[in-house]
Amino acid sequence: MQYSKEFLRKLYKDLLDARLFEQKMVDIYALGKIPGHIHSGVGDEACFVGTLATRKEGDYIKPTHRLTGAARLAGMEWNDILAELLGKVGGNALGMGGVLHIVDLDKGLLGFSGTLACDAGIANGAALKIQNTEPPVDNIVYLFFGDGTSSRGPIHEAMNMAAVWKLPVLFICDNNQFAISTPASYGVSVPNVSVRAAAYGMPGVTADGSDVLDVYEKARSLVEGIRAGNGPALLECKNYRWRGHFEGDQCKYRDASVTEEWMKKDSVAKLEKILIDNDVMTQDEIDAQRQKVDGELEAAIALAEAMPEPTVEDLYRNLYV
Amino acid sequence: MHTTYLNAVGDALREEMRRDPNTVMFGEDIAEFGNIFGVTRGMLEEFGPKRIRNTPIAETSIIGTAIGAAETGLRPIAELMYADFALVCFSEIFHLVAKWRFMHGSKYRLPLVIRCAMGSSNGAGSEHSNCVESLFMHAPGLTIISPSTAYDAKGLLKSAIRSDNPVFFCEHKQLYQTKEDIPDEEYTLPIGVADIKREGSDCTIVAVGLMVRRALEAADILAKEGIHAEVFDPRTLVPFDKETLFNSVRKTHHCVIVEESNKTNGIGAEISAILMEELYDELDGPVARVAAPDVPIPYNIALEHYCVPDAARIAEAVRAQLAHD
Repeated sequence: MQYSKEFLRKLYKDLLDARLFEQKMVDIYALGKIPGHIHSGVGDEACFVGTLATRKEGDYIKPTHRLTGAARLAGMEWNDILAELLGKVGGNALGMGGVLHIVDLDKGLLGFSGTLACDAGIANGAALKIQNTEPPVDNIVYLFFGDGTSSRGPIHEAMNMAAVWKLPVLFICDNNQFAISTPASYGVSVPNVSVRAAAYGMPGVTADGSDVLDVYEKARSLVEGIRAGNGPALLECKNYRWRGHFEGDQCKYRDASVTEEWMKKDSVAKLEKILIDNDVMTQDEIDAQRQKVDGELEAAIALAEAMPEPTVEDLYRNLYV
Repeated sequence: MHTTYLNAVGDALREEMRRDPNTVMFGEDIAEFGNIFGVTRGMLEEFGPKRIRNTPIAETSIIGTAIGAAETGLRPIAELMYADFALVCFSEIFHLVAKWRFMHGSKYRLPLVIRCAMGSSNGAGSEHSNCVESLFMHAPGLTIISPSTAYDAKGLLKSAIRSDNPVFFCEHKQLYQTKEDIPDEEYTLPIGVADIKREGSDCTIVAVGLMVRRALEAADILAKEGIHAEVFDPRTLVPFDKETLFNSVRKTHHCVIVEESNKTNGIGAEISAILMEELYDELDGPVARVAAPDVPIPYNIALEHYCVPDAARIAEAVRAQLAHD
């Protein structure tokens, strides 16, 4: 086994945090506790967890709508995450931002735009800050986007500019093969988004998005080059979206049996098998870990629910400095 | 010093770049070329390629880069060559720049400036002649500045760069070569404070950008007829200095609003509505608007000049106002 037990346990903790949170969102959304719409990332976790396992202090992250739990991976507390998710005044944006904007700048989270891809250039701005820092640092920016977003102009503008300026950005396409109802086989002109990297003169690699260790290995190799000053790179994590685009989406545009086949490639189950087979964790420890996270989430939900709502005055608090 | 509006803008940029090493500038053709109007000439040589950067033609990325740089501690000055191109990245400005702090919380500050050259300029055509302030006045969270003189441009741009709020800064192309005396010593001007460019007692003319000069010409014409127009230059459209305007209208009881852009949903629509809502009792007649007709600015120069308000049209509107007395 080439990985330390400590590394694998941490990887599992992150993967399980993400999985259980994305699942819990679905559960409490059904109970009417979350306003608006959610886009559960159940099934998409390995892309984020494997990639961010290469992260170090001082790096930045630009997440996507499909892994709200990325906030947890960045280091946010459940209580803070739940407060903003439930639209409460105790959230990072006083409940004004909501599900897409659960962030903390101190944890390296740059923010996110619900107008997908419009935020692509933001990674370049943070990378510019890194590049202009004296004495030099080898930090990088992780920019996540989906296969649907890969079709938008700002993504292409950002990749081109990052390559022109040799910026330390890892572009990560979470290719779950669906842009709402439109399959990537229709909406994306190439079989793998990663081949587009060649058009910008950067390396591009496709990983198995259902295998957190494959994602980690491929990310690690690209991140090494970026930290060495070689400029940006593109990592694609190929997977399949388990649930609808939003909760309530019946997915009538696709074959449920295909979804079921893909769901068998469960990243969490795969890692659990590795942990048990290599005596890293026992089934009992895994079960205990699941219960622990579930308990943490339930407590955070209860706490957030008891929080006050924002007031009309709060509407104006963060509009201007 | 006797200087042009263009050089005043350039000097503001240079002074602030010298003052704060966290300032960076990027945009299309701003480095070796020194910006298509020459505003940034010599800055690459002085500040180096890390702080003065050419971008590809990529407006959405220019604005995105400004956001990411600003929130992580730089003070970016992003240039969009023409104000018209701000519509290429309208979403990035409207949804992201304006709302970023609101959507993400108080840890997120965007001390950035978006500079652009705007307005008609003798045959630039329908896509290179627009004034776009009114489009962005609909985006709470932005600060919008549109200076009419070299003095205002320099003082306000310096304040914009020092502001912790995102600023959309409009420089009028036809004003670039106008000259005036400005102080040799360093100065800044407060954001959100209007300026009475000419005092008068009979009618308030609200004018923005190039229209301020034309309003002053109109006031000269009217003075010969014994009509004393007051010219009110908001300088900052957001936040808007209502109090100074109200004090002016309380004195004159008449108001004509002049803008270069199309009349419908323009700056004048907003300001006249404010006057109706908040100062109705002080008005001795309906607020009048002088603006471009609702057509794109044409390429044909005679017709361009027909569309953009001139002193004669402004003077005529003031005379018509006073006929209500």
